[in-house]
Amino acid sequence: MSKPNLQLTDSQYLQGLRVGNNEVLTALYKKYYNLVLKLVVNNSGTSEAAKDVYQETIIVLYENVKKPQFELNCQLQTFIYSVAKRLWLKQLKKNGQTFLFREDEEGEIADVSEDVSLHEQKEKDFEKVNQSLAKLGEPCATLIRDFYITKLSMDEIAEKFGYTNADNAKNQKYKCLQRLKKSFFDSPTVEQSEIERK
Amino acid sequence: MRNTDLFDNYLNGNLGTQETSDFESRLAADEVFANAFNEHKTLIAALKEHNEIEKLKSQMNLIHEKEFGGDAKVISINKKDSFIRHYGKTALVAASTALIVVLGTVAVLTPGVQQTSNQITELGLKLKASNEAIVEGIKEGSQKPVHAPANMEGSAFALNNAGYIITSYHIINGADSVFVENKGLERTLAKVVLTDPRLDLAVLKIDNKEVTKNWNVPFSLSGKTTDIGEKVFTLGYPRKDMVYGEGALSSLSGYSNDTTMYQVSIPVNPGNSGSPLLDDQGNVIGLIRGKVTSAEATGFAVKSIEIIRSIHDQGADSIRTSGKKPMAKGLKRSDQIKRINPYVFNILVYKND
Repeated sequence: MSKPNLQLTDSQYLQGLRVGNNEVLTALYKKYYNLVLKLVVNNSGTSEAAKDVYQETIIVLYENVKKPQFELNCQLQTFIYSVAKRLWLKQLKKNGQTFLFREDEEGEIADVSEDVSLHEQKEKDFEKVNQSLAKLGEPCATLIRDFYITKLSMDEIAEKFGYTNADNAKNQKYKCLQRLKKSFFDSPTVEQSEIERK
Repeated sequence: MRNTDLFDNYLNGNLGTQETSDFESRLAADEVFANAFNEHKTLIAALKEHNEIEKLKSQMNLIHEKEFGGDAKVISINKKDSFIRHYGKTALVAASTALIVVLGTVAVLTPGVQQTSNQITELGLKLKASNEAIVEGIKEGSQKPVHAPANMEGSAFALNNAGYIITSYHIINGADSVFVENKGLERTLAKVVLTDPRLDLAVLKIDNKEVTKNWNVPFSLSGKTTDIGEKVFTLGYPRKDMVYGEGALSSLSGYSNDTTMYQVSIPVNPGNSGSPLLDDQGNVIGLIRGKVTSAEATGFAVKSIEIIRSIHDQGADSIRTSGKKPMAKGLKRSDQIKRINPYVFNILVYKND
């Protein structure tokens, strides 16, 4: 007999996702993948598109469980299906593919508009960070990551990057951070640039 | 101390009690200072979230690769009744699933809004009619032996008279039991004898002499590559009844320039996976494997020469007949189909979740 799959309750999945437990994430990922695959593939999508939609759906869920006041108002499966459907419809619309979904599923759909719009905001920030870090270049991007994410000390950073001492490293970090700030806050958001074009 | 260092120390809880309260008073009193701090806080939070999402993405990619990485990149065109388990209690859902694909095609391919909506309406009627038909079917079905819905269905066709048949690997992957049936054949057990996940192929055997004793398979796998533009056709089971589709061979390579596949201009639907692709004379030149999007009349088929090679590489040449003159050659298409029909199967796969 093969090892049975990890069976968890909805709230155990959410808790595991919140703390980044890889085993729980694996179980969650396996559990609902076919649901979203089916949804996308049956509605003009490829399995690659399904993978993207599914991963984005999990990200939406992740962003939500990270909120301190988050409460799931429906079954996890319903949430995942509803978010995936919304994301896929958006994608189809973007591609100019008008498409009809089956009416008889409407009853099982949860209202996830707020969750998805939160995600859209976060996605913009994510892209902005991406662009800003790319613009920042090396060694700055790594230095900033080492300090703020990996939490290396200034001494460790000095050694890693070959600065003579921690103060020197601190100066470098300061310069890098100022540049990052400038590009992050000065880069127009999508809406702003649209307004400017008008 | 620079402001940014002060911000970091405050955010990391590295300030003493006095320093903390000094810092907070300054935040309240000095607007410029407070704005600078808020900017800093926003940026660092965005950096951290960015990192978390990156981490989550790479975790998911690893999981995906490990759990589903072997799946063909082409869409698997099969129909899974698990959909019914998830989304509805009746077979109505399955019927509308298939038809929505058609609606989508019309909506995308037909230019002009007016025309589009007209055609959708027309198809909508068909949808209704067919749903009603299925409801009828359900009612009638209650008198017949009731089979549990299969987890996966597709098509398959015969390789030789000994009961060997071939289908797509993705159909039978993970199966606990596999059955075949068609108009002339009651649901019969088949067992998997060979698989080739790379080409998405699986060979099964119907181990029932009663069934196969009178077999005379009218086609064999073609050992040649077919030319672009050749007329081709397929027979398969996207639904309970055999469905015929025809078109032309449109490319000598498939999805992502995969040279193990042909591209054909035949609309293929869920359930067509494993259908034979035949040329005008009735030679099997491929096995329908998938399509890229449901919105295009484009299918992909594994080339017969690749199938022959795969079987050969597994030392199993005897499970197929070769060089057979197609018995359906020169016949009218409808007569060809009558000959071929009994050797194309609907395949039903059951899995224990």
